[in-house]
Amino acid sequence: MKDSTVIGRTSVVTGRITGTGDLEIAGRVEGDVAVSGEVVIDSTGMVGANVSATRIVVRGAVRGDLTAEEALVVESGARIVGDLKAPRIAIAQGGLVRGYVRTGGMAAAPRPRAAAAAARTTVPEAKARPAAPPPQPQRAVKAAPPAPPAPVQKAPPPAQKAETNHKPAPRGAAAAGARVGPPPPVVPVLKKGTKAVQKKR
Amino acid sequence: MARTRTGGGGEAVIGRSTRIRGRVSGDGDLRLEGSLEGDVALSGELVIAEGARAISNVEARAVTVGGELEGDIRAQGLVHLEAGARVRGDIHSESVAIDEGAEFDGRLSGPDFELPPELGGGARRRS
Amino acid sequence: MASTVIGAGITIEGEVTSDEDVVVQGTLRGKLIAKDAVSVEQGGSVEADITGGPVSVAGTVTGNITSSDRVDLQNGAKVIGNVKAARITIADGAQFKGNVDMDV
Repeated sequence: MKDSTVIGRTSVVTGRITGTGDLEIAGRVEGDVAVSGEVVIDSTGMVGANVSATRIVVRGAVRGDLTAEEALVVESGARIVGDLKAPRIAIAQGGLVRGYVRTGGMAAAPRPRAAAAAARTTVPEAKARPAAPPPQPQRAVKAAPPAPPAPVQKAPPPAQKAETNHKPAPRGAAAAGARVGPPPPVVPVLKKGTKAVQKKR
Repeated sequence: MARTRTGGGGEAVIGRSTRIRGRVSGDGDLRLEGSLEGDVALSGELVIAEGARAISNVEARAVTVGGELEGDIRAQGLVHLEAGARVRGDIHSESVAIDEGAEFDGRLSGPDFELPPELGGGARRRS
Repeated sequence: MASTVIGAGITIEGEVTSDEDVVVQGTLRGKLIAKDAVSVEQGGSVEADITGGPVSVAGTVTGNITSSDRVDLQNGAKVIGNVKAARITIADGAQFKGNVDMDV
């Protein structure tokens, strides 16, 4: 195929690769790759820098960020430590990735990389709070217009079974307004002190 | 708090027209078709069906998302984002599969794996 | 044997080393060390010293060429640099400027 580049299995390139055309890496590349075609990192391929291309397929190992204009495919056996960014991303089971992944289709609001990440939800506000900038309607969140800061919100749940208040806080808060979330709950705001009654089905 | 009771093979389902606000926990599996705002802690599998929406931090054995989720996921097994999924949050699990078409914005982390020695071995980020 | 091919639209700035054949159709700036054959095709441009097995040039090379075998400059080749090889051919139409050391 014309304009196709292959870095063979025993080849090592320490330097940048740029240009147009497809690129297949079966060897090792230790410099940034920026091409306007498809980059395929074979199972024997190893890339120690960032890769940017129209389409990227990874079967080998990468330590660097991968950015594709169209699609990024991580196949089983791939090992990547780095961030992935492309409008369409597929990761097969068996493809190992450690890093941030964004398809960019969601609202762009940067989320607070809150401590709460991996928050053990059990821990109430106390933990979530600090993370979320607006201590406010954590949850209201979704519905762009902050939901009425119901009294319930603030009420530290004094052994409140009826947890109308809850987590995925920080993340939620940050995204407030930026994202169309679930429709406003139908459940009316409960007054503080209300106990939950589980409906028997 | 909503408790699911599955005892004996039943899968708990939160139907399409149901909205829950509150923490959900239980043994067994849960299928969400409606909307949920509240954390989830299951010993089984969570399925967020297409059309369902959840704002939750999730802890489960395995998770399949076909709808929307805003929150972190911690799973012991596989977390699978289907083509129609829209997920924002970090995923920490044994393995992850993201189908093309899924929208995802978050961090992936899981069991430690090593890069080949030529790339420095350990999986920690270089920069 | 599999080979490494640097396609026409590609530019590599840095060092390339390989145990296999290397074909350059694009641009390479830096250094090229191959254990096997090197071919700089027409249109290919190498601004680097080349070390390899048999080296064949139909494109442009600005740098020294050291071969463990032979160096062939084809018609259309343009080489500016020294060539060190046991055997060398310079075809009619090839341009060459440099020293030749056949280490007899």
